[in-house]
Amino acid sequence: MIRRARVPRSFFASLSQRNLITGPPPDLPAVHHTTSTGSPLPTPTPLPHFTPHPSLNRLMLHSMDDPRTDRPRDPRQLVYVDESQADRAARAGRMSSPLRRGAHESWWNAEQGWFNAVAKTIPTYRVLDEEGRPVKGAKLPQLTKEEALKIYKVMALIPMVDNVLYQSQRQGRISFYMQCSGEEAAVVGSAAAMRSTDEVFGQYREQAALLYRGMSLSRMMGQCFGNIDDDSSKGRMMPVHYTAPDLGFHTITSPLATQLPQAAGAAYALKTDDARQGDCVICYFGDGAASEGDFHAALNMNAVLGGPLVWFCRNNGFAISTPVIDQYAGDGIASRGPAYGIDTIRVDGNDALAVLAATREARRRAVQGKKGVLVEAMTYRVGHHSTSDDSSAYRPIEEVKEWTVVDNPISRFRAWLVTQGWWSEEEDKAMAAANKKEVLKIFNKSEKLPKPKLGEMFNDVWAVPRDGALPEVIIEQRAELGHLLKKYGEAWEPWRKELKRFVEQGEDVMDCDSGASR
Amino acid sequence: MRSPTASCLRGPALYSRRPSSAPLRLALQHRFKSSVDDPSTSQVPRDGTRARATPSHHSAQELEPSLGNSNLLKRTPEEALATKGLVFADGHGLKGPTGKGRETRQMNLHQAVRDAMRTALTSNPKSFIFGEDVKAHGVFRCTQGLAEEFGQKRVFNTPLTEQGIAGFGIGLASVGSTAIAEIQFGDYIFPAFDQLVNEAAKQHYASGGSYPLPGGSFTVRAPVMSVGHGGLYHSQSPEGFFLGAAGLKVAVVSTPIQAKGLLLAAIRDPTPTIIFEPKVLYRAAVEQVPVDDYTLPLGPTDEVRPGTDLTVVSYGTPLYTTLRAIELLSNPPPALVQFLPEKLRPPNPAPSIQLIDLRTINPLPIGEITEAVRKTGRLVIVHEAGKSGSVGNNLAGEVGRRAFDYLEAPIGLAAGWDVPVPLAYEKFYQPDVIRVFDKLVETLSY
Repeated sequence: MIRRARVPRSFFASLSQRNLITGPPPDLPAVHHTTSTGSPLPTPTPLPHFTPHPSLNRLMLHSMDDPRTDRPRDPRQLVYVDESQADRAARAGRMSSPLRRGAHESWWNAEQGWFNAVAKTIPTYRVLDEEGRPVKGAKLPQLTKEEALKIYKVMALIPMVDNVLYQSQRQGRISFYMQCSGEEAAVVGSAAAMRSTDEVFGQYREQAALLYRGMSLSRMMGQCFGNIDDDSSKGRMMPVHYTAPDLGFHTITSPLATQLPQAAGAAYALKTDDARQGDCVICYFGDGAASEGDFHAALNMNAVLGGPLVWFCRNNGFAISTPVIDQYAGDGIASRGPAYGIDTIRVDGNDALAVLAATREARRRAVQGKKGVLVEAMTYRVGHHSTSDDSSAYRPIEEVKEWTVVDNPISRFRAWLVTQGWWSEEEDKAMAAANKKEVLKIFNKSEKLPKPKLGEMFNDVWAVPRDGALPEVIIEQRAELGHLLKKYGEAWEPWRKELKRFVEQGEDVMDCDSGASR
Repeated sequence: MRSPTASCLRGPALYSRRPSSAPLRLALQHRFKSSVDDPSTSQVPRDGTRARATPSHHSAQELEPSLGNSNLLKRTPEEALATKGLVFADGHGLKGPTGKGRETRQMNLHQAVRDAMRTALTSNPKSFIFGEDVKAHGVFRCTQGLAEEFGQKRVFNTPLTEQGIAGFGIGLASVGSTAIAEIQFGDYIFPAFDQLVNEAAKQHYASGGSYPLPGGSFTVRAPVMSVGHGGLYHSQSPEGFFLGAAGLKVAVVSTPIQAKGLLLAAIRDPTPTIIFEPKVLYRAAVEQVPVDDYTLPLGPTDEVRPGTDLTVVSYGTPLYTTLRAIELLSNPPPALVQFLPEKLRPPNPAPSIQLIDLRTINPLPIGEITEAVRKTGRLVIVHEAGKSGSVGNNLAGEVGRRAFDYLEAPIGLAAGWDVPVPLAYEKFYQPDVIRVFDKLVETLSY
């Protein structure tokens, strides 16, 4: 039977919390195994000894023997304290003490230290109030009149574009559309903080960023109509799935959050490319996408591997019909940044100036530290999720109206511009009229353009070098369709009708006669 | 007695009001009758005999009528109740517990899916329905009203993560619950691929048959195939990727009656099952569906029409296309007569073509198809998915091995091309009516 020895309370009190190293009894010898890589670990793992290993004797403090009984204490009750700083560092490395296993900084604590947040509340940064007046103590970002007006003009143009395309879908003239209504400040404000050489990975509601970066309306509409002007995907993708490599705008795809790990990879490439020092990646995503596994994979990879990246979350309150309350139980998306070791800010997403300032600072930190920075922009999706959605089924119309009236990102920014003396009602009216005319003109022109060549269906599936041969499967299947078109293209009314919509009316595929197939 | 749910029964015919004799005879009578009475069915009787002369010109709409007009759909209670393989949960057969027959109600496919899930929730308190946006109604309205009726503990939104949804379902089933998960689009099922193929499919095998615990069942529903304007990510047919997942059952439904019966069978099957629902059929396919709790067997195929010259196998949306192509071949419009060899032209009798709805993709019902092909000697397979790694190629390989001596023509495959489904070109990507027609003629005249 082992008698328990008592340690006087004063002994513990004499040790500061951080110097006291409790932890498991040091039964395991601290032997540094210098076996070569690939050698098997000693098996079986020896059971801990009841008595301290002789090699640990030097670690024992004499004072730990109970002074009153003058007897050695039960080894399992032994408390041992650190030796010299150097010894301790060496030993910590050898034994991988719990304090070194993956926590940044910690200390031994005799009380259970449960927690559910790293900060009690995360503040939301804003510089303008709902009426566009600077809030008390706000430091406005440096902004010239030209820069400010550029931001505003895109913010004011995008609803016009959205409305025309949205209505055209309703009339069956395009197949699908998604508006960015309500999120103009978040998207344009962040786009304005980036540089033209930066890389953009969007989700699907960032057409305003694309406009800001210089996408022409005819190119955008060409994509939505899938006509010959569609250099994004040559008619292959649904509307709003833009690609613009010249503007650093990577392909929009429908699966959610898939762009996030890709952005981390691109950022790593920028970090390691001497020619691209100073460039940055911005990656947009929503509160819903942040639930996908790809979000977690991406932020962690970026945090571990590095690479200049602004993670820009448009927290608009909804993933189609799913409100954020069904999406996450934590404090928004911002609370996750510190979990990955990422600098994080939450910003009022309807305040264009705050978004601009926060994203500028995020970009500065990202580039300087060659690392990821997280911005969570709090906003509200005023429009339906898409033309396939009717949001009145899951949220009251009054709520939507309230957002458009009480906290309208466009009118907030415009009010500030007006107080600066940079903009006026007359200018606004003139611009709106001109925008409408221009958008409708391009829309009407775009609608009349034919679809690309039918053969584009079979191109680019596998990337083929200019002088390389197409894969056999493509040659065969294209020829099979070619034969069928030659045979039935005139006689079969549904095809005759459909072929008229393509440039060359399918002739290009019919010409491609390189062997029939079954 | 009418049950409360039958109060919105449409149409005059309650089966229970009919004499209890010969539902099948009534159904067959209706089949012949409908093909004459209903102009939308294009004068083509299902027995393959040539009908009266056709008008000289057809519009595109006439040549490719909307899916809702298809003869696949059963428009009377008699036809609906004559469906092969119906097993009623109360064990009373077609006469029902009262002996007066069964009721049917007109439903489209999403209503039939909802009806199946409502039945499951009612009959089993340990069943749950979950997925993205299912609380409001689901993006295709399959869960309309279920959260209100059964509470948000049993019908709930999940965070937006397909791998999470699939794994969550496996966990529910592991401890004896019934999990009915929705993946919003088949195109987005791939994040769940690991959970489905590595975990759900293998769980029973890996645990020596211990898991899921008794009562546990995991069903995944996902909309698939094209509506004509979905492009790369809303038109895919991902079923081929699950062909190698031994341990999973995979079925594709093609009518509302099937949607209810196969889904309920899946829900009550301890094997994890994926039910793919062709999204264009959700609203387009409308038929009379039995109101009571019934299942259709997972596994066997369904013979849509008998035939002796050629076997055609399809599933999901292209089943409609194929039936239409067969009808055109039986009664060719003037524009298409020129493409027929002499022996297939009127007044020669129309070829007798057997159409089989495959229904189950995994495990593939190879034996049944082989048997059919041994009788007809010719096989054409039709599906929307691309050819490579497809159901068609798997089936063709197996049937070719087993029925080599019986084949009189190469096995035909009308399928999508091996390219992503391209938005502007979808009309020419799909194996549409004329492509199937051509494949039928080619195989018949070989």
